[in-house]
Amino acid sequence: MKILIIGSGISGLAAAIASADMGNHVVLVSPYPSERAQSVMAAGGINAAVGTAGEDDSYVHHAMDTIKGGCYLENEDDVRQFCERAPENLRWLEQMGVVFNRKEDGAISLRAFGGQSRKRTAYAGASTGKQIVTALVQKCREYEIDGRIQRRLGLHFYSGLIRDGVCYGALFCQYFTGVLQAIYADAVILATGGQNKLFGKTTGSELCDGYAAGRLFSQGVQLRNLEFIQYHPTTIETDYKRMLITEGARGEGGRLYYLDGEKRVYFMEDKYGPKGNLMSRDIVSRCIYDCPSQVYLDISFLGEKLIHERLEEVYQLCKDYIGLDVTKEPIPVAPSIHFFMGGIRVDRNHRTNILRLYAVGECASKYHGANRLGGNSLMAAVYSGRVAAEAIHREEAVKVRVENFASYIEQEEALLNRIKESRSQFPSVYILRNLAEIMNDNLGITRNRKGLSEGLEAMDLYLNVMKSIKFDHTVSLYENYRIDSMLLLAKAILCSAMAREETRGAHIREDFPETKEAFQKCSVAELVDGQIQINFEAESCEKESAWYENSDKKTG
Amino acid sequence: MKIRIKRQDEPETAPYWQTFDFFGKGRKTVAGILDEINYRDDLIDENGVPSRRIRWECSCMQKMCGGCAMVINGIPALACGTFVDTTEEELLVLEPLTKFPVVSDLVTDRSCILEHQKAALMYLGEKSAENEKEFANRYSAAKCIKCGLCLEVCPNYVGGEGRFYGAVLANEAYLLYTSSENRKKAIAKEYRRHFAAGCSKSLACRDICPMKLPTLSSIGYLNRTRL
Ligand code: SF4
Ligand code: FES
Repeated sequence: MKILIIGSGISGLAAAIASADMGNHVVLVSPYPSERAQSVMAAGGINAAVGTAGEDDSYVHHAMDTIKGGCYLENEDDVRQFCERAPENLRWLEQMGVVFNRKEDGAISLRAFGGQSRKRTAYAGASTGKQIVTALVQKCREYEIDGRIQRRLGLHFYSGLIRDGVCYGALFCQYFTGVLQAIYADAVILATGGQNKLFGKTTGSELCDGYAAGRLFSQGVQLRNLEFIQYHPTTIETDYKRMLITEGARGEGGRLYYLDGEKRVYFMEDKYGPKGNLMSRDIVSRCIYDCPSQVYLDISFLGEKLIHERLEEVYQLCKDYIGLDVTKEPIPVAPSIHFFMGGIRVDRNHRTNILRLYAVGECASKYHGANRLGGNSLMAAVYSGRVAAEAIHREEAVKVRVENFASYIEQEEALLNRIKESRSQFPSVYILRNLAEIMNDNLGITRNRKGLSEGLEAMDLYLNVMKSIKFDHTVSLYENYRIDSMLLLAKAILCSAMAREETRGAHIREDFPETKEAFQKCSVAELVDGQIQINFEAESCEKESAWYENSDKKTG
Repeated sequence: MKIRIKRQDEPETAPYWQTFDFFGKGRKTVAGILDEINYRDDLIDENGVPSRRIRWECSCMQKMCGGCAMVINGIPALACGTFVDTTEEELLVLEPLTKFPVVSDLVTDRSCILEHQKAALMYLGEKSAENEKEFANRYSAAKCIKCGLCLEVCPNYVGGEGRFYGAVLANEAYLLYTSSENRKKAIAKEYRRHFAAGCSKSLACRDICPMKLPTLSSIGYLNRTRL
């Protein structure tokens, strides 16, 4: 069976390795090598209830924390399965040589992370994502050598080859020639990451622009829970981007405070007790947002030894970019966009609503509900990649009639050529800058109807303008053709945020401050006859279900 | 300040120089400057000529992905890790790396780094028991961002076709050697052939590495191993 995987961060690599393990042929496509993927920026850790911290942890607790952190939106069986397999996935990574921190007895060290009842976050210093990428790349290389995985660099996703609800492969655009190239496969796994670029500068990679999700949305793929956008509570400002201070800093004991005159007010601890600094991210971000003055994160009292041993990257980052010595001074922090709980709608096998099209990693929406727990994204990336690969293998290629896309490809090529021959009045960066401004203004930590309608109006305007905008010769072809789909995705996010008339997790509506039973559902966005439709569908997560009650008892 | 950039439209076309004015405030990274220039509504050079935006590879903007390696004022470095004082009357000269084929402007094709790793069969095989003594160095070696700066400065690295693969390979070999159960021999052999045989210990690679990889200890460790 031939499997096409788009994106080579952790989820794409995991899917590729797992597929090759089972003897399938993989084509792994990405514009850049894995070292450039946003995965390398993941810092703090990866969750698995391996219980090596001397606490009575189990996957049940992990699942409960995940569901609770996500405000009861996710299907409990799916989350349970995700958590149940986390220890095995951690071992899988260990076997591939990931350099995890260990205790003296050799067992994997665990640190405390936000919103979790037990210590269950395994880590590799403060560069866990990078360490995992390194090991996965090496494993992937073994399969590249024996031919099971074929890697293709320098190709940008263009569109899915989709007809009548079935996916046959994808079209890619070559960076230079602008020539479209089709790659056909028995199944396609999308692993293209989040959509930070819609917001301009965030903590993430410049490369995650949401284009693939937006384009596929226009081709009939359903999206889910787009309104849930995670603001990471502790980021620092530099002149051109916000940089993340890992949650590991608070996991190791770091404390948040603001100054009232001379007095330090430890607002999280005052409100939530000694574990207050490690509440889930939605809560901490909201509290920081409500603080009367600049908030600081203090880790200096942890001592130089611990900081250099476990948080060296935090030390270096602050030293290099803001000239601050974290062993001596507190770090000024503020929340910033960090992760998208929403994305492509998938079932427990990571199938989308299009046959033979799968989505994994951050581009898929699964497990995290209204708010993701720190350490769950890396595990979800590994888990989803493996699960999709297994499902494809198990189900074998869904046999379909071979379709001929030649005329579709010709048509798209002609379209691109027409565009290329024209000239635009508006530079593409002008549109991107405005897009980012609209998104930041109206999808902040708190939202309201007025802002969202203004955002929608503006987005409609730009979508309309785009119809007449032609080629901007100062940037690449990809930077031209991606804008339309980015705007469409942005509009779908605004629509989803508008439709959810309640406050839940990371979605805080000033005009609807209550959490409503009626909205204990996932928003599903779909493009029907050119119109964005939002429906709410329950994922059958019963707060009162027997499983939940039982596990509640277990936790005591 | 003036920014002089060596530009090239396509892989096969001839390079040319173009200079831009930049009025900034204070200390900025080269990445920050490039970003600001590219995000202006119009990009015009010092003679008022409208220009194509500057192509350079970047992902993380914070020294984590290796994309932005280029030659800055004659010294190979990461754009996002190099600060310049923009207020001073200064000339900032940016060129693409010289040991890799230019794709466009400051973007180079460094895929040979990955090809070398493949050619030298750099994979783990079965994993050995944890080697705690080497933990710190292994952790550092695993942070190689494959930026290629060590190859750019190495007097022995002659480009993609040669047999010498440079410090980036030595570190990978060390990382794999110290955790492989069944491929130690093969890894050491490849290390000898593709690194030790060509290294003249200029140590330029150690000093240039933006991730401060323990290249010297990696080399020392592997040189002590017996086949
Ligand atoms: S060893 Fe250092 S300089 Fe060489 S590629 Fe790796 S990170 Fe870059
Ligand atoms: S942009 Fe990632 S290292 Fe410079």
